[in-house]
Amino acid sequence: MSSFIKFLPSGPWRLPVIVLSGIFSGIVIFSVYVSEAFSYLGDKPQTCVNCHIMAPQYATWFHSSHREKTNCNDCHVPHNNVFSKYFFKAKDGLRHATVFTLRKEPQVIFIKEAGSRVVQNNCIRCHSELIKDSRLSVYSAELWRIRTERNCRDCHRETPHGRVNSLSSVPDARVPLPPSPVPEWLKAMINN
Amino acid sequence: MNINELLKKKSWLGWVLFLITVVAVFFLGLLASSIIERRSEAVFAYAPQITFPPNEPDNSKWGEIFPREYNSYLKTSDTSFRSRYNGSASIDMLETNPEMVILWAGYSFSKDYRQGRGHYYSVTDIRQTLRTGTPVNDVPSPAPNTCWTCKSSNVPGIIEEEGAAGFYRGTWEKRGKQIINPIGCADCHDSKTMNLRISRQALLEAYKAAGKDIGKVSFQEMRSLVCAQCHVEYYFNKNIVEGVDYLVFPWKNGLTAEDIERYYDELRFTDWTHALSRAPMLKAQHPDYEVYMTGTHASRGVSCADCHMPFISEGGQKFTDHHIQSPLNNVANSCQVCHREETERLVNDVYLRQDKIMESRKILEGLLVKCHFEAKAAWDKGAKEDQMKEILNDIRRAQWRWDFATAGHGNSFHSPLETLRLITSGISIASEARLKLSKVLVSLGYTGEVKVPDISEKAKAQRLIGLDIEKLTEEKSEFLKKVVPVWNKSEAN
Repeated sequence: MSSFIKFLPSGPWRLPVIVLSGIFSGIVIFSVYVSEAFSYLGDKPQTCVNCHIMAPQYATWFHSSHREKTNCNDCHVPHNNVFSKYFFKAKDGLRHATVFTLRKEPQVIFIKEAGSRVVQNNCIRCHSELIKDSRLSVYSAELWRIRTERNCRDCHRETPHGRVNSLSSVPDARVPLPPSPVPEWLKAMINN
Repeated sequence: MNINELLKKKSWLGWVLFLITVVAVFFLGLLASSIIERRSEAVFAYAPQITFPPNEPDNSKWGEIFPREYNSYLKTSDTSFRSRYNGSASIDMLETNPEMVILWAGYSFSKDYRQGRGHYYSVTDIRQTLRTGTPVNDVPSPAPNTCWTCKSSNVPGIIEEEGAAGFYRGTWEKRGKQIINPIGCADCHDSKTMNLRISRQALLEAYKAAGKDIGKVSFQEMRSLVCAQCHVEYYFNKNIVEGVDYLVFPWKNGLTAEDIERYYDELRFTDWTHALSRAPMLKAQHPDYEVYMTGTHASRGVSCADCHMPFISEGGQKFTDHHIQSPLNNVANSCQVCHREETERLVNDVYLRQDKIMESRKILEGLLVKCHFEAKAAWDKGAKEDQMKEILNDIRRAQWRWDFATAGHGNSFHSPLETLRLITSGISIASEARLKLSKVLVSLGYTGEVKVPDISEKAKAQRLIGLDIEKLTEEKSEFLKKVVPVWNKSEAN
């Protein structure tokens, strides 16, 4: 605090500068609040529909069996260590935020190569018994290719989001889109 | 060097800093408003742009918000599908089964009984049937307003305003001007949430009477219960509200034909007295839900909507097909979701069951026709009340089982075992009755065979029981020409 005061000019300029930097900080805090920036640190699926274009992905997940055991992050960010998790999340999240802000989103969203690798590793993370079971082992010349070059999703194509996920594929789905940022008490005051 | 000292020396640097800050705040403001804009987009993107009152009867208004569901609903107007016994076209059931005219002698079903068309025609069809009579020039209809209950999406609104009893009160033509829209959206959906809802009091009251809470049923059960608002056995109770034919589902003792029969016996309820045998008869309506619940599909948790309104996909959107119809016309989306067989094989499996049951049903039908004529012969020869009492009760019970099996639209597929069980127990009771009848006839000195007249055609059978169908049809066409256009017009204004 004292260093901040040292930074301030002395004399008649002090008051306007305090007010002006307050306004600047206020807008920054408002942007953080209205974009629910802190929710991005958590794992709630509702966070991912802060951008409403993710509604089809949310709705299809919500109607799949994966709803019972997973949230978005369980599959879509790496879980080998905490640094890798948050680095990937920040990287992907910032790209998403940029695309959304610039309105560059495509009508049908496809997963990118990096995300696809993360998902594949997460399939294995939970379903490892499916590829480790010795009763299912087969030794053949094709084994290496079959086990390592294909993704689970190449066959399980409908898991869990279904096949078609255009922005308009679920017009009537009930998705927990972000509510109005205006607090209830303020609304009540304005209405009266 | 301290920045303050620097600024003192070069005053233009202050201006540069000021302008940079202005630009930064300006863009920060733009970012903030872009976030707000996209957030409020979310509110509009998933919210309907038009609103209507909770019981909006006009299906096309709902259709503006849900065009896919509405357009598929409109296909219930298609009458081109014909299965072996039923389908979406109007079939004159008395023509195909003239025995029915005899079985229902003295009751309005002997005048006219047709296979109903799709929901789209619910209002048109009830206006056209001879059973609702010809309410022209202040002549009342023989039917009460209760008969409208299951015919129109106008009903939930009127019931909310006037209460169930208020809605049922009076004869059928009284509400002719109010009831215009066919069965539709408001009958099954809450207008705010689009959740399924029960809009008909009778089902709510039946649940209450049986001590069950309809608020606690699952979504999957609701996908059948919305149908069970109408596709059930029911009767009109005149003792609940005075002067009102109050709609009641007789489910207090259970849902089987025997449970319901016991319920009616306890009430000493009869639908009509048979014109030939004078038996105190019961008429089964269409116990679709009751019979369905005894079948394999029901016990596996399949709902009505799973087969009659399967999910379909159009333009990358998955939704419920609102073209409510026979799954035999849509095997790919109904049966084949679970059964991996060829369409032809699946359809033949259904026909096989229907054929076998029809075979037994025809035996029972023949026995019942004989029962009615033999009982008439006994009366004609001077039989006494106490001689006949037990026999007439047997006829009532046997025909109740026949009707319960026959009146349900899909019984022989929904639950072939239960349907066949009803028919076989009906055959046994009817045979008993005939044995007793022959004893009565012998005691009256008659040992010959009672001849059943020629009832090979609907017209012959109707003439036999004294119905003047030409006159009734003529009167009906006058009603359709004179009264119905007035009813339609009043809604348009």
